[in-house]
Amino acid sequence: MEHRNSIGHGHAAAADRPDVVLSAERISKSFGGIAALVDVGFELRRGEVHALMGENGAGKSTLMKILSGVYTGYEGTVSVDGRPVSFAGVREAEDAGIAIIHQELNLVPELSVADNIFLGREKLIAGLIVDRKASSRAAGALLQRLGIELDPEARVGALRVGEQQLVEIAKALSMSARILIMDEPTSALSPAECQRLFRIIRQLADSGVAIVYISHRIDEVMHLAGRVTVFRDGRHVLTRPMAELDENAIISAMVGRDLLASSQDERDPGGGTVLSVSDLSLSKPDRQGWRQVIDGVSFDLAAGEILGIGGLLGSGRTEIMEAIFGSSDGRTGGVIRLDGLPVDIRSPRDARRLGIALVTEDRKTQGLHLQASITDNVALPLVGSLARFGIRSLAGEQGLARQAVKALGIRCQDIDQPAGTLSGGNQQKVVIGKWLATRPRVLLLDEPTRGIDVGAKREIYDLIFQLARDGLAIAVISSELPELLHLSDRILVMADGRQTGILSREAASEEAIMRLAAPRRTLSRPAA
Amino acid sequence: MTALKLLSRTKLYWGLIAIFLIGVLGSPVSSKGNNIFLSYGNLLDVLRQVSTTGLIATGMTAVIITGGIDLSVGSLMAICSVVCAMLLTVPGVTPGVVLGVPTVALVALCLGFVVTRFIFLNLEKSRAGPDAAARDVRLDNIRGLVTPAIVGVVLCCLSLWYLLPQIEPKFGVLGVLLVAPCVGLLFGAINGFIIVAGRLQPFIVTLAMMVTALGIARLTAGQNNAVLPVYTGSNATADFELLRSLVFGVIPMPGLFFLGAILIYGAVLRFTPFGRYVYAIGGNEEAARLSGIAAGRVKIATYAVSGLLAGIAAVLYVAQYRQGKPDAGAGLELDAIAAVVIGGTSLMGGRGSLIGTFCGVLIFGLLSNILQLHNINSNLQLVLKGMIIIGTVLVQERNAGDLLAYLRLPGGQAARKETAASKRPSQETPSLNLGGNKK
Repeated sequence: MEHRNSIGHGHAAAADRPDVVLSAERISKSFGGIAALVDVGFELRRGEVHALMGENGAGKSTLMKILSGVYTGYEGTVSVDGRPVSFAGVREAEDAGIAIIHQELNLVPELSVADNIFLGREKLIAGLIVDRKASSRAAGALLQRLGIELDPEARVGALRVGEQQLVEIAKALSMSARILIMDEPTSALSPAECQRLFRIIRQLADSGVAIVYISHRIDEVMHLAGRVTVFRDGRHVLTRPMAELDENAIISAMVGRDLLASSQDERDPGGGTVLSVSDLSLSKPDRQGWRQVIDGVSFDLAAGEILGIGGLLGSGRTEIMEAIFGSSDGRTGGVIRLDGLPVDIRSPRDARRLGIALVTEDRKTQGLHLQASITDNVALPLVGSLARFGIRSLAGEQGLARQAVKALGIRCQDIDQPAGTLSGGNQQKVVIGKWLATRPRVLLLDEPTRGIDVGAKREIYDLIFQLARDGLAIAVISSELPELLHLSDRILVMADGRQTGILSREAASEEAIMRLAAPRRTLSRPAA
Repeated sequence: MTALKLLSRTKLYWGLIAIFLIGVLGSPVSSKGNNIFLSYGNLLDVLRQVSTTGLIATGMTAVIITGGIDLSVGSLMAICSVVCAMLLTVPGVTPGVVLGVPTVALVALCLGFVVTRFIFLNLEKSRAGPDAAARDVRLDNIRGLVTPAIVGVVLCCLSLWYLLPQIEPKFGVLGVLLVAPCVGLLFGAINGFIIVAGRLQPFIVTLAMMVTALGIARLTAGQNNAVLPVYTGSNATADFELLRSLVFGVIPMPGLFFLGAILIYGAVLRFTPFGRYVYAIGGNEEAARLSGIAAGRVKIATYAVSGLLAGIAAVLYVAQYRQGKPDAGAGLELDAIAAVVIGGTSLMGGRGSLIGTFCGVLIFGLLSNILQLHNINSNLQLVLKGMIIIGTVLVQERNAGDLLAYLRLPGGQAARKETAASKRPSQETPSLNLGGNKK
């Protein structure tokens, strides 16, 4: 408990404790009036692995972006080695020894491992020419010290994700980082790669590096971290040694209220089969030709049913939806039947006409035109259908938008408000509203609650249940297992592009899903 | 505060007014004491001069709103001017005829097909009633394919029936007004097709087209840089004079074309699904495509229209300067892009308007006129124009504060924050998601 008490004291207290390398006190940050962090504290000691946990939207990433200099405007004090600092940018944070490894890696795929490690700090001959040999040697030495077996000359794009992760770590350490922030580092790794990563993390901690480890996976956190801090809804909930806590204590600290005890109710998913997919495969163009990303996927989806699709990142979940929706630039194989009739879907246009809707994973890059109004976004797929003799029906478009705002409870000032000014949850509702306006029969949802706050999440769940009750056939992808279990009538699990099983509601559990989701062997990928 | 906002929103018009006032106040005065800048003749000249650039900038605006760019318009105008001058002055089968007549036939065929289908589709929609709005209507083969094809062929034959007899004598005004824009349309459509089907950068494709089209223009003209003079009444039909005359004695014909293009295309962008798609594609092409929009077709259409307007501009150019030549449109693409950008259209796509472009074109034209009236050295004129483009765009995009902040000059920080807040709403909404920075 004494650790917890140290939070919130002045930085003088931190200076008394020489092992505290980084502390944040009374940090608040809000975005456009919405508080992301409220008066939180955080402290990191030399040589510890400190887990930071919380639901999506809890404020973990926001705090880490403040600590690593990404966000510069905030209230509160950040101190390094007991001295208050104020970073004007990422560069200054790096100079202070703080490095962050984002979930989405920041590497240049076309460059070699060594070039990536020293990017922006190239070793030069006479201050002008890049000394490839020297950087290759230095990178080799660094990798060896870390116990990473990688060729410094290898092209980063040819490495597996797990290996790329290690390159990021090497890069951070090459900047003599003393504080390393890792954001969901294992989300795309195989168990073996995870083990290697854990070994290296422990080794780093032993050598005195302080590590902030952000993860959703409670088991691995319990395994790895010495202390844990939990955030919920932008507030600090607890900071304790890991040994004092068990899994349930962490979960209840993270969730706070019982999120999932909402309205899973007596629906009857026994309608007729709407969508039937058999032996679906998808190949995408690669440098070496065509690479098969999914293969042998078969399932039926009935009206009123919710089918969950689980698996690790990159296991082919999204690709199933792309293949059905015709939005991928690859080649698809297999048969898709709608109401028993085989259909040929070559573009999202075809899919829309057939009554299939896809709410994509990333609403900002794939779902919305952020500068355009709610009306323009909601009506976009139907602008042409509503028009008569080439003249848009502005009234019709506004009608659709009003309907969507009302039906989905989108909180906005008016329907002309730019979509980009809405909160994440409301943006997501706009995307869903856009597709519901097309009156689909099959609704594909790819990570529908990604990056939205807890309250909005619950509204989305309720909405999904309501839609299923109305007879839509729904497929949902989610990385969050509790969410997947909560929503789905059945769960299809993918691993390495293959369907490894379909679990009934009774048979489904986190363990069962993870067992099926564990990667075995990559399929038909030329040896890198 | 609201007054300030209003001022900020309408600053383009204020800019136009300001430059107009500068013109009036700084204008030389004639011996009779009249303000030369304000004289009717001078203002007509301005309108006349900006019309060519204006037509091209009109087409360019839509292309830029989709996030593209069209560098080939100058060369397309060159081809069309050569074809136009050749058809007007040289009888018989010339390279101009070989290039032009089949093109018109092809365009007529496609146009007949597309328009007929469009009409059937909308008739079907009206019949299906409003409830069917969510579903796209489908046409059977008779109305969807056969009838449109027949109409296309008929239209194609009609165009040939109209054009072929004009080959042996020389082409009339309507003849060239048909051929030159069609040639432009075809080349523009080729641009768009390569960009869409080949998934190439518009910059590269239209750059290649710029070079290719210039070569074709020279080949068509016969010798390098051959100038084809057009003397209405002696070697060409006297009617052609109409295209440089004053309509009703008030507005010059080229100006009428320019205004017409702005109004029509402006209405298209504002009131048709096509226009909505143009903005949607520029705003987020991936989202538009995933919403089931035929993004490729829309993009091809914007390039085709850009070419079409270059063709019309070419005919007006020939009428204006009494000649057609391969370097007719040299550098015009850059003037047009500058006018579009001054008009507040973002080169990133998704944002812009034809009213803005109209103002941009006028600002540019008035500026040239003022500099000419003051007899300023033409090289110095270029320097001043360049500086004014940068200045206007800095103000337009509200980046002047950024510039000051970058140089660490006073007044920069506040302005910079304001720009950031107003321009990037997406990043101001909380991106609290864990792996927030997905690329």
